[in-house]
Amino acid sequence: MATCNALYTPRDVQNMRVFNYWFLSAMVFFLVATFAIKRELVVPALGWTLTALSVGLLVMGVRAYIVFIRNADELLRKVQLEALALGFGAGMVFMLGWRLCERLGALKLDVSDPIIVMMLVFAVGQYIGIRRYCVKDDEQ
Amino acid sequence: MTNRLRVLRAENRWSQAEVADRLGVSRQTVNAIETGKYDPSLPLAFAIARLFALRIEDVFSPDGHH
Repeated sequence: MATCNALYTPRDVQNMRVFNYWFLSAMVFFLVATFAIKRELVVPALGWTLTALSVGLLVMGVRAYIVFIRNADELLRKVQLEALALGFGAGMVFMLGWRLCERLGALKLDVSDPIIVMMLVFAVGQYIGIRRYCVKDDEQ
Repeated sequence: MTNRLRVLRAENRWSQAEVADRLGVSRQTVNAIETGKYDPSLPLAFAIARLFALRIEDVFSPDGHH
């Protein structure tokens, strides 16, 4: 058997928890704002307020992630930075590559599609990095 | 880079988790250093040497120099 969750120190768990709170709050506000504005359920002033709140919470999420990375266990930081590089690279390649494909007649994509690719590849990169440094249970 | 972390840890009868606690890093970091999958930063290398009351060159050395 191998243990793959021994990469987080208690401080990392705490910092990741703070990031998760900000990010989940931002996502909830983002979805509510998107739904309300799309369906015209709110007056413009409230729509702008919901948008500002979503952006503000996202900025706080980014700030919490930077704090997490800066204080992270150094191997965890390496895993995270490699996953970020993979995600960013995949997003760049996808964005530029698909732009050429569009000119050749491929389906036009939404502006948020490269972000989905970035996040998926970031998640896969994290998984690969964490698996690479799993500890066998007999290695005490 | 090679290191004597596993040997030093065994001599002190410490588990990887104990060493990780003393150094303020994760157990996977200690394991990755021992197995040569990861070379620690200079501050962590100094902290490891200090933990065993040794000089840094007594714990770490370039490949093939032990």
